Formats: sequence, C-alpha cells, structure tokens
Amino acid sequence: MKRTATSYRYLALFVLPALAVYVLFSVYPLISSVFLSFFDSDDKAAGQQFIGFDNYVYLFTNPTTSERFWNALGNNVEFFLIHLLVELPIGLLMAALLTSGVLRKSTGAYRTLLFIPATLSVVIVGFIWRLLISPLWGVVDFPLLGNELTALPTISLMSVWQYIGIPMIFLYTALLAIPHDILEAAKIDGARGWTTFWKIKFPLIAPQFGLIVILTYIWTFNGFDIIYALNGSAPGPNYSTDILGTLFYRTFFGSSGQVANLDLGATVATVIFFIILVVTAVYFFVLQRRLKTYEL
Amino acid sequence: MRSRLAPIAAIAVTAMGLALAGCAGGGADSGDTTKLVLGSWRTEDIAMWEDEILPAFHEANPDIEVEFAATDTNDYNAAIQSQVAGGNAPDLITCRPFDVNRAWIEDGYFDDLTGLEALDSFTPTALAAWTGADDAPYCVPVASVLAGFYYNKAIFDELGLEVPTTQAEFVDVLQAVKDNGKYTPLALGSADGWQLAYNVLYSMGPNYWKGEEGRLGLIDGTQKLTDPDFVAAFQAVDDLKPYLPSGFEAITYDDMGQLFNLGQAAIIPDGSWNINQLTSTGLDVGVFGAPVPEAGDQRYQQEMPDMAIGLSADSKNKEAAKVFLNWLTSDDFLSIFVNKLPGFFAMTTDAPSYDNPLAQEFSDLKTDAELTPRLALDRLSAGTPPLDDEIWVALQEMYAGTLTPDTATAQLQADLESWYVPAG
Repeated sequence: MKRTATSYRYLALFVLPALAVYVLFSVYPLISSVFLSFFDSDDKAAGQQFIGFDNYVYLFTNPTTSERFWNALGNNVEFFLIHLLVELPIGLLMAALLTSGVLRKSTGAYRTLLFIPATLSVVIVGFIWRLLISPLWGVVDFPLLGNELTALPTISLMSVWQYIGIPMIFLYTALLAIPHDILEAAKIDGARGWTTFWKIKFPLIAPQFGLIVILTYIWTFNGFDIIYALNGSAPGPNYSTDILGTLFYRTFFGSSGQVANLDLGATVATVIFFIILVVTAVYFFVLQRRLKTYEL
Repeated sequence: MRSRLAPIAAIAVTAMGLALAGCAGGGADSGDTTKLVLGSWRTEDIAMWEDEILPAFHEANPDIEVEFAATDTNDYNAAIQSQVAGGNAPDLITCRPFDVNRAWIEDGYFDDLTGLEALDSFTPTALAAWTGADDAPYCVPVASVLAGFYYNKAIFDELGLEVPTTQAEFVDVLQAVKDNGKYTPLALGSADGWQLAYNVLYSMGPNYWKGEEGRLGLIDGTQKLTDPDFVAAFQAVDDLKPYLPSGFEAITYDDMGQLFNLGQAAIIPDGSWNINQLTSTGLDVGVFGAPVPEAGDQRYQQEMPDMAIGLSADSKNKEAAKVFLNWLTSDDFLSIFVNKLPGFFAMTTDAPSYDNPLAQEFSDLKTDAELTPRLALDRLSAGTPPLDDEIWVALQEMYAGTLTPDTATAQLQADLESWYVPAG
C-alpha cells in the first residue's frame, strides 16, 4: 500500500484518542510516581525537596522497612510460584481435555462452568472461601488462615481456584487453532494421544504458554485484591500474607496506625514496576524469541 | 453546526440564570441568619444530625443555621487537608484524636479555645486527646467509646456464675464454663490483631500499668514496656488463651460477634460501639469492666476519645461557631446524641442518662474507675514502626505461641526505641 500524507493523517487521527487516554491515565501517573520517589515532601513548610535516591536507601536499609519489603517480596515469589505450578498445569490439562473430543457435546457446559469463578468478584470469592474453611462454621477444623505456614498457600489456592479459567481459555483457543490436517497426519504416522499432545500440540502452543506464564507473573506481582479482601492492609498473621501490593498500599495510604508516606509509597511502587519490567523484558528478549512459531 | 446549537445554549444559559437568581432570592429572605458548615466523617449519622440535632440547635438559636457536611471516613483527613489548603475549610471541623489532630493544630487549622465556657465541663484527661504541644485546648470533646466484657446472662444463670471482679475470679469463671463443656468460655479470635489490642490488652492492661501513669510514663520515657507492670498485663492477656474456641487463630472479629450472638459463648471482649449488633438476636446481655489483679485494687477503664469539634482558624463566623461549641455540652445536645447512637458516650463530667440499658451499664463502669485512652495511639505510633501496629502483631504471635509475654514486650520496647525519642 502506498503511504500518502492523507493516510498518515488518518493513522494519527485513529491512534490519537487511545494514545491520549493511555498517556494521561497510564504513562503520566507512572512517570510522576517515579518522579515522586526522588523527593521528600514530609516537611510542609519547606515544600518538596529533591533527595535523590534517599528514599530507596531508606527502604532497603531501615531495619523495619527493609524487613517488610524482603518479606513481601519473598511472599510474592511464593504467591507466583503457586500460581505457576498449580494454575497453569491444571489450566493446560483442562484446555487439553476440552479440545480432546472426549467431552463431546458437554464441552460448552464445562468451558462455561470452569470460567465462571473468574467472573466473580474477589470479595465474594474471599468471603465464601473464608466461611468454608472457618474453624467455627466451616468444614476444616484447622485455622488455615491463622497459621503463618498455611495462610499464604491457602490464599494462593483460592486465587488459583478463581482464575483457573483464564489460562484454560487462553490455551484452549490456541489448541483450537491447530489445523486438523496436522493432527490427522500424526495419527496416520501412528502417534497416540500422549505423543500427539507433547510432540505436536504443545510445541505449537508453546508461544502462548510462554505468554500466559509471563502474564501470570505480571498479575501476581501486581496482586493485591484477594489478600486485601481477606486480611486487610496489614495482612497477618505476622505479615505472612503480605505481598508487594499490600505493602505499597500500606505505605502509600497508611494503615490504622501507620502514617501515610507518599514519597516512600511511590518508591515502593517504582521498585515493583522495575521488578516486573526487568523480568518481562528479559523474557521477551531472551526466551520468547526462541519459542519458534511454526509456519503452518 | 454552530447555528443549530445556539438556541439550546441560549435556553441552558437562561435556565441557569433563573436558577441562580432563585438561589440568591432564597438567601436574601433569611438575610440575618449566620450559616455555619460542620465537617465530619460520620456519613452514617447524616440523618441524625439533619433531622434531630441541628433542628434542636436551630430552635434554641434561630439566627444560626448549621449545615452538616460529611465525608466518607477514609477520605476525611485528606478532604479536610485539601479544603484548608484551598481556603474553604468548614467553620467547624470534627477533630480526630491525638496525632492527626496534633499535626493539624501545628499547621494552624484551629483557633485556640482557651476560656471557652464549654471546656469547664471536661477533665484534663478528656481534653488531652485534642490539646496542642502548648497544652492549650483546641476542640470540644463530643464522644468517646468504651471497652468491656459482655456476658450472656442466661449462661451465667444456668451455670451459677457471678460476675468476676478480679483476674483470679475471671479465670475461675472461664474455667467453670470450660469444665461444663456446653459453651465456649470466651468468644475471642486472633485473626484481627486490632481487636486483640483495643478490646483486650488496652482494656485489661490499664489495671496493671495503672492507667495514665503507665501510658504517660511510656510517652515521657520514665517507663518501659519491659517493666513488670507491662509484662504482667501481657501475661494477663496470655492467661485467657486456654479458654478460646478451637481454631481461634483464624477467627475474625465478625466470627466472634456471631458466636456470642448465637448464644454459644459466655463472654466476649468488645467495644461499646457494638452494643446494637451483640444484642440484635434478643440475648439478655450484661457488661463488666476489666478485672483488677487483686481484690481492692483501683479499677481503670479504657475510654477512647473518638470525636471532638474544633473551630477553623479561617472561619468568618467565629462568634456563631462558639455558640454552637458551647451548645455541645448542653443536655439538649447530649441526650439526643448519646441515645441515638448507643455505644457512644458523652465525655462531660456530669454524664447524661442513657435510654439503652446496656449503654447505661457501660457508662456506670466509668463511675468508680479512673479513665485512660488506648495505650499506643498518642505519639507512640507517629513513627516507623508504629507501636500500635506492632502490638497487634505481637499479641497475635503471643497467642500463636511464638512469643511469650517477656519476649513480646522486649521486642516491642526495642522497636519503639529504634525511632522514638521520649518527650521528657
């Protein structure tokens, strides 16, 4: 297609509204919060003072804040790993079953049922699960949410239960896109179900699988809602369910006893942003390129 | 395009003009009344103020009209701060207790109220939550909340139990309920750290650290959390552990209330604000104060200042605002306020009477006791880590068995010393 001045003008016209909204509500706040993290605005009389990396130094060297930060980061890694090791394999299994043909006409019903939790409000999911496992009213006698060792895995599994439909639907559509003639060829060559799946189907959906891994990483490191809904902004017991999102919330907005600190909150937000940015960038530059997309 | 929109615009402008003229006309009619705005975080009380309290005030003072401007609790501090900064602060500002208000006083939000007649109705302790660094009063106290132990009278009658007054009697009562096996002795869970602190430690503890003596001692640095009185207070809380329901580590504040509400628990430590919920199923409920260590000891009662009203330094109607502030200690105001909001108590020295029997019982707890606010909210939580938050977690850990009263207090004192420089 020949690109003329007019076509460029139309291109700009169509892109501009979305770009304006994106810049105003996403790029600008991001940059301004990075900006804010280099200032100290506690002293109202003196106004905002540029202090360089002092907020970062404070975050990582003050015994209290650094302990909370590393604790939250560790918990967040655990939160992610549980999603990675439980949600994705089960999602893949369900997607494989849905496309395998063994469910015949009930595929649609299963697909809908499995996806429904993802459409529920986090508050409702948290509330129902809290009741189910309450030592007073529920079916489990053990205080799962009250024990430092079990609280985080319990909440993670609730989240897995809720969002299992997302990787499932993602991989399901990828599996559906595989042309039938390839599978038929494999069948004629004598490949059985297991072999077909791992040698033919999975390599073909590997790029999508990689993408859902990195999306899960982004979602869990931006995670906040289910923990906040269940355990508030100082998630106990003894901060064992505190993740970066709740740490940020507590720092930026304050909690009952903690005074809100905008600069330090912005610092935490920036650190979270870089944790996500670095890993995502590494993934895209190093790994995603190697996951070859086969020309079909 | 332009020509087609013009008539619509003209109509809109005319309509707005008419509306504005209407407003101006309305204002002119009541030309000699002074209008005051009262900023508050109690959105849940809008109806009470607009239908009961403000009409009563207007009746007594026909030339002053007060508008109740409520902001959601969580946004209130930010709202007031931006209104003051923008030069349109309400004439009357509802004051948060202790540290937030102290910051506001320092930033010049309020007028000093020294000499205001209404303040004669309060003890220095009642005023303390709203004084500035210069000890001058800046707000007129309106309401406090109390903490105590609610008990199910039917269970007490069935098991032949008496209301305990000492710690030993308290433990005996709990043991008797436990031995009987039919009921949970104490409806208490440790999932919500705040309520272990506010309804248990800060309620039982003052009897050990002697109320204000211990609290102010921590603030001026003459006492430490590792002193025997404080350790004994933590020990008294720890003594309750055997009487908690199983799985208490995961039992929330709401769960506790339901357990008691369903008649399955004998006693629940809770705040006065929960009167309506705890009696909603029609249980016959009584309340007793935190037990003292030994018979004959002085009793201390937690009274947490909750709400006060101050005069904005930017107000243009200060005389009228002072009339309103003085009215806050009148029987007219107090009898409406405390009876419409059972669980909130007047802080005046002459207490009004309460229609709600349980509220009256709560109020009676104040008569033979010395009053003291929650331990760690004044100055001790204005740094990192805030002592109040640390106490929540320490109590949870103590109940989880990872800390003892000795290690908990030692850890808390070390955390406090890491940033707090005593005032004294």
